[in-house]
This record gives sequence, C-alpha cells and structure tokens, in this order.
Amino acid sequence: MRGAGSHDSEVPVVELCGITKRFGDITACEQVDLTLHRGRIHGILGENGAGKSTLMKGLIGLVLPDAGLIRVNGQICAIHDPLIAAELGIAMVHQHFSLVEHLTVWENVALGESGRLNSTEVRRSIEEIVDLYGLEVDYDAQVGELSVGLRQRVEIIKCLCRDPDVLVLDEPTSVLTPDESAELFSTLREVVAEKGSAVGLVSHKLDEVLSVTDEITVMRDGRVVASMLTEQVEAGHLAKAMVGREVALSSLSQGSEEPESFKRVFKQQASPLRVGVAGVVDTPVLQLEGVTGRGRGQAMPLNNLSLELYAGEIVGVAGVAGSGQRTLADLLSSLVSLDAGRVLVNGTEVLAGKPGAMAKAGVAVISEDRHDSGVVLEMSVAENLFMATPHRVARCGVINQAQAHRIAREMINEFSISCSGPEAPMWSLSGGSRQRVVLARELAASPDVLVAAQPTGGLDVGAIEYIIECFQQAVTTGMAVLWISSDLEEILSLSQRMLVMAEGRIVGEMSKAEASLEALSELMDGGSQR
Amino acid sequence: MSRGIRINEWLLMYVLSVVVALGVSSVVVEATGGDWWPVLEALVEGSLLAPGRWGETLGVAVPLVLVALGTVISSKAGLVNIGQEGQLLMGAAFAVYFGFLLGGPGVINLVVVMMAGALGGAVWASVAGLLRFWRGVPEVLSTLLLVVVASQAVGYGLKQQWLLLEPGADRGNRNQVSQQLASGNRVPRLDFFGNQFPVTVFVAVVLALLVAFMLARTVWGMRLRMLGHNHMAAHRVGVSATSYGLAALGVGGAFAGLAGAAMFAGGGFSFGNYQLGPGFADNIGWTGLLVALVARERVLVVPAVAFVFAGLRTGAGFVNSTGVESRITEVVQALLVLALLLPPAVVFLRTRRQARSVALLKA
Repeated sequence: MRGAGSHDSEVPVVELCGITKRFGDITACEQVDLTLHRGRIHGILGENGAGKSTLMKGLIGLVLPDAGLIRVNGQICAIHDPLIAAELGIAMVHQHFSLVEHLTVWENVALGESGRLNSTEVRRSIEEIVDLYGLEVDYDAQVGELSVGLRQRVEIIKCLCRDPDVLVLDEPTSVLTPDESAELFSTLREVVAEKGSAVGLVSHKLDEVLSVTDEITVMRDGRVVASMLTEQVEAGHLAKAMVGREVALSSLSQGSEEPESFKRVFKQQASPLRVGVAGVVDTPVLQLEGVTGRGRGQAMPLNNLSLELYAGEIVGVAGVAGSGQRTLADLLSSLVSLDAGRVLVNGTEVLAGKPGAMAKAGVAVISEDRHDSGVVLEMSVAENLFMATPHRVARCGVINQAQAHRIAREMINEFSISCSGPEAPMWSLSGGSRQRVVLARELAASPDVLVAAQPTGGLDVGAIEYIIECFQQAVTTGMAVLWISSDLEEILSLSQRMLVMAEGRIVGEMSKAEASLEALSELMDGGSQR
Repeated sequence: MSRGIRINEWLLMYVLSVVVALGVSSVVVEATGGDWWPVLEALVEGSLLAPGRWGETLGVAVPLVLVALGTVISSKAGLVNIGQEGQLLMGAAFAVYFGFLLGGPGVINLVVVMMAGALGGAVWASVAGLLRFWRGVPEVLSTLLLVVVASQAVGYGLKQQWLLLEPGADRGNRNQVSQQLASGNRVPRLDFFGNQFPVTVFVAVVLALLVAFMLARTVWGMRLRMLGHNHMAAHRVGVSATSYGLAALGVGGAFAGLAGAAMFAGGGFSFGNYQLGPGFADNIGWTGLLVALVARERVLVVPAVAFVFAGLRTGAGFVNSTGVESRITEVVQALLVLALLLPPAVVFLRTRRQARSVALLKA
C-alpha cells in the first residue's frame, strides 16, 4: 500500500525458489517460494517451528538448503556463508542479538569489517545513519550496559552501516515495549523510503505484520500456505491460515472487530475472591514486604518491592525488559537472596535463596527462560516431569520406573506433550512441548501460587491459548497466579489486577476497570527513564 | 536427528584409530632399531596369553575400575576431579595406618583396611570440596595440586615410625616402606587355570552395578545428574549445590581411596607387594581418570575399558623384555591410549555441532 510503485516491471531483489531444508526427520522448509521486492516490506508470518527462521537463515547463509535455488537481482547465487550474503547486500537482524557485550557500540558495528580498524571512520558512518534515521545512540557506551531496545537499535545500525539492499528482521519486537516497536517500524519505513531496500519481517504477531507490511507470506509446517498483499487481507483469515484452524486470541484485538471468546472467558471471573468465608479478609497467599536484593548477573535489582497476592486471582505484573521482572521471578524461584525484606507464603516466612525453599512452600514457577532453570535438556521427559517431586514416584529413594512411566504417560496425554514417550530426551522436544512439560510439572505439585514469567514468550498462538486455558482452570481451584509479562495486551486481557514494575519496584497498581493500554504503557515508560 | 552413534560406527572408529596407532608405533620402534612384530606379540602375550597373565591384568583392572567409578560420580555432578592419584595414595596411607593401628583378625582387619582407605580418599577429596564450596576455589586446581601435597605428606609419613614407617627397623640408608600386611589379612586370591586374581574383582563389578543403579534409578542419583546438567533448575527444585557437590566429591574420593586400599591389601606383586612405599600409586589414579573419560561416563562400560588399560600396563612389562628401550615402550603405550581417547573426542565434537544445528532449527 505504501510500496514504491508497481513491482512487476522490475527484477525482484531476492527470489527464493523451492527451498527445502530437513534436519534429520524434521522438515523445516518444504518447497518454499518467496520473493522480496525493492521498497517493500514483506511479512513472513507463522507459528513457532513453521520454518520462518530457517528460511531466512538459508537466505543469509547460516543454513544450507537441501534443495531449491536463490536468485539475487536475477542471478542464481550459492549462499553458503554469511560473508557471501553480506557481499550480496543481504543483512539480518537476529532474534537473539549477535552483539559482544563487553565491546562498545562502535566496536560492535566495526566487528566483521576487514582491514585496519579506523575508529573515526566507523563513528562517522554511525553518525550518518543516526542523522538519517534519528536513531539516537551513544556510540562509546558498552553494549552490555544498554537496554534491550537500544541493543536492537545497535544491531540495526550495524546492518544499515553496510548499506544493504535486503534487510531481514527475525522477530524484532519480541523484546520491545509497544513504543519501542512503533519506533522500530517507523525507522523501517524510512529505510524503505530512503534507500528503496527490501525488508523481510519474520514474525508470529499478526497485528504487527498487518500494520507495517506491504505483502504477507504465511507459513505453516514448513510450507507456504498463503501469500497476499496486505491491503487485501482479513485478520481472521490470516490467523486461520497460520494455525490451520479457527483461533480466538486477544492479540488480534487491535482494530479488529473480533472481541473473541477469549475475552468472554475472562469476564466470567471478574472479582478476586479476596474476601473469604464470613467476610473475613484472607491472608494473602503470597506477600512480599519491601524486598531488596541484587539480581543475577546484569539483571535489575529489586528495590523495596512490596506486593500481595490472594487466592484465586490472576495478577499481572507489567514492565519493560530490565524493569526487575526477571529478578522478581528469580526471587520466587529461590535463585536470588535478599538484602532486606521478607517473603511470606500463606503467612509463613520463606528463606529467599535457599535451594528449593520457594518450591517447597508452594510457589510454582514457569520461568522466563525455560533452559535456564525450567528444564534439564539432557534428561528424559519423565525425569523432567518429576524433578520437583521425585518422591511421588519413589520409595525409600529408589525410583519405581514402571510407576514413573505410567504417571508420566498420563501427564503427557493430559497436557498433549508431543514426544516419543516418557524416555524421550528433553532436547528432542519442540519449544512448545518443553513449555508444556514445565506447565505439567508445576501444576502437578498443586501449588498455592503459580508464577508465570513471560510464559508465552516465543510460543505460537496455539500453545498460548492452551497455557491460558490451564491458568483459567487453575485459579478456579483457588490457586493464585502472578503473571509477569512485558506483553501489555496479554496482561490487560488476563489479569484482574495489574501491577506496573519499573526500576525494581512496583510503581503503580490498577484494577481491570481502570486499566488501559495507554495508562499502563505510560507508567512503564515513566519508570524506565534513566 | 539421531544423537546416538551406531555401534558399528563406534567399532570402526576404534579399529581405525588403534590400527593407526599401531602403525605409528611400529614406525617408531623400527626407527629406534627395534623389531615391531615381537613388540606387538609381547604386548598381547603379556596382557592375555602367557600363563597367569589375564589374571594379572584382572588384578590391575580392579583399582582402575574403582577410580573410574569415583570419577564418574564427581563428574555427573558437574565437578571436575582430577586428583585421583593423590586421593588414592591418601587412601592407601589411611589403610596402612589404621590397619596396623587397630589390628584385628583376618577378615575384620581387611574390612578395617578397606574402610580406612575409603575414608582417606574421601577426606582428601573433601579438602578440595570444602575449598570449592566455602571459598570458591576451582576444584580442578585444588584436586590437582593436592596430589603433590598427598605425595609429600605420605613421603613424610613413611619416615616416621609412629605414622607409616615399618617399626623396629631404624638402620640407615634403607627404603622407606611400611610394614608388610600379614598373609592372613590380605585379600584372598582365586586361582583359575593358573591365573590368580584377588576377589576384589567381584567387588569392583558389584560396585559398578551398584553405581549404575544409583545414578539411574535413585532420587539421589537423579538429583545429582540434575545438578551436573543444569544447576539453576536443580537449585530451584531444592538440590543444594553445596551438599550434593560435597557428597559427590567425597564419594568420588572414597572410591579412589578404596582403590588405594585394594592395591595395598590385594595388589600383590603388581602393586608394592602388600607394602606402602615410594611411588606406590604408580599412575593408577591418572589412568583411572582416563578410563572414565574413554568410557564417556557410562558406568557399565567402565570395567571393559579398565581391562583394556590394565592390559596395556601388564603387556608393557613383557615389551620391556624384548630389548626395546623402556622410553620407546612408553611411547607405544601412550599412542595406544591416544587411540582409545580419539573416538570419544570425535563424537563429542560431532554431537556439539549437531546440537548447535538443532538449536538453530529450534530458534
């Protein structure tokens, strides 16, 4: 719709034809065709594991396709190395940044150049980019000290300095606040307008693909299932193409006319069950009193944070990356200890940082980074399911293998974990299935408090829908859920009460009635000005 | 996406690397004026075929198995213990000291000796453990350096009659050795077709089975492995890195110490002839560490690998008698050890590369 005129007349800058890539038995891409045109933003939409990233990695030479060919400016190219891609003018902003934290911004930008390192020249080229697109950044700052949003800006500057014809972004907004995302997209628009570059935007977020792209390719199970111009698209149709069935999800809410069954579900439980029998106010199941303590590594410390959580409610904790959300989740995972303050579960103080103390007290956690403290990849699915409560399947310290397998199989069925069986190694599972294993394990411990830290991060709509359903079920049994997320819409639609976190503290609280995207967003950003 | 390597692939790799090692060895032997065929023959004769040799090899394999089992336990918890040589020596010293101090009739004394050995190894490894968990000293360094301390400490003990030195013999200029274990207190030896070996062979096999069971099927073993693979996840579900880590190092050391005791009480002519003296450990600790590496931490493979390494040792004795210089024999031995280490290394690199491509796919 905003493209640089008709594209039929010119040679497309990139043409992928019949790209096929298999990893062992798994087909990541099957006969995929994709065309990127100058001056247009092309959205590549699909669930996790749909093959989007693999396809793009094939384009920049990180993955060698098994079949198919790539044409750049009409010429057939064999891109078996990222250096070749760079020479052809193809650059990629990765989902996980490829920056060196201990180097400064300009050093990171210069990384990968050959020849003598000329700092003034590098700085000048950064300045040019900065002036052109208004991407403010201190090029002498150490990358490790920058916020996630700024890091991504550095990553983009790094790509733009090489003046690419084709710019590929892999899930660029997964770490950004709504404001930062909006900024990113306006920059992208400028790049397209100024240089006439072609942009490939890989995403699993429907709304952003709908709002910024010119054309869309939808992938599912490694195949292209739909391909169209954005102006001719309907959101519902797109979601269906992506998942392969009808879905009801809040992330469509922006401007789409589908209020969804999803929201209806939430309205059924409007008020928290804070007042117990006979009108006596319950003790909170989880109470944090002025907790102060350092986070792990570079994480934001907690700074006199207090909050209360009551049985049967879902409380959202909103905040940008680096607001201390991670440390809060770590605290409730017994991973960090405190300098001051107390943690009480059901009125009893729990020693922070002591191995397993929180879990024992009844706090279950779905951690932000599954691989960090959520699962053990080298162990079997069954072992991962029982690692928090091994005594369920053991007698006198000896594991009853038959019983363990039987219960594991039940859990695998109940939570639809797709794996070859209880003995399947954890690493063989997909991201969504791993998350289901975590969910199954944590719920099986029948905890009083369930802490979910960015539980939908990196998951596709189907898996998100499932997780939300599980939580809904859980709160009806009196469990309390602390939903820590940087996805505002998710928090808005899910929680009955919202807390906003910034600089390691709670800076605001809102009930469902008074909360809005704008109000939350303002609080989040207000707190993050440093 | 199969991470497992098929068995014939393994065999092929081992056969190839051993053939290459033998080829290089023969070139080395020929170049230094020897004959390679008799060397090879002597190696096989000395480890297996000559009268009484396979029993001898079995006997040497016992401490190797024990040391390797301990190594596997420590490394399952994610700890790198490379001080088995010192822990073994300390175990032997404790065994000697308490064995003669407490006395007791035959079997009881033997049990005392074994338990004291395990205790000695455990104490020595726990020094490294305490340094690690109280002061954050890397266990790789402390265990290694404690080997030197152990050998000096035992050397000192062997000069003091109230410690280890044989009493009543204070004539000058003699070897500093301990008292010899009385024949009634030694590990009984069995005789099969002229091959003698100590009954500790069976103890070692039973212990291997026990360790395998413990690691795979007990809550303790599962939590230990969890700690080794992902200490964050382990911490969250209540596995204390300190207590499990200390236990893993301690038990690992105990196995090395037990190996020392078994060498003292049942090693016979292969190891010090029931006496503790200078150079007693004789690289068994280091070799046991290699056994664990080659077995790639799989407990049930340990005995087989230990037998092969023991064979290299007993065979080397015969090679010396072919007239080839002992330095050259050592080169041959080292080449064969390298050949055994190569396939696991190749597989390690390959799985890592594969894991990376899987990670790329999942990303």
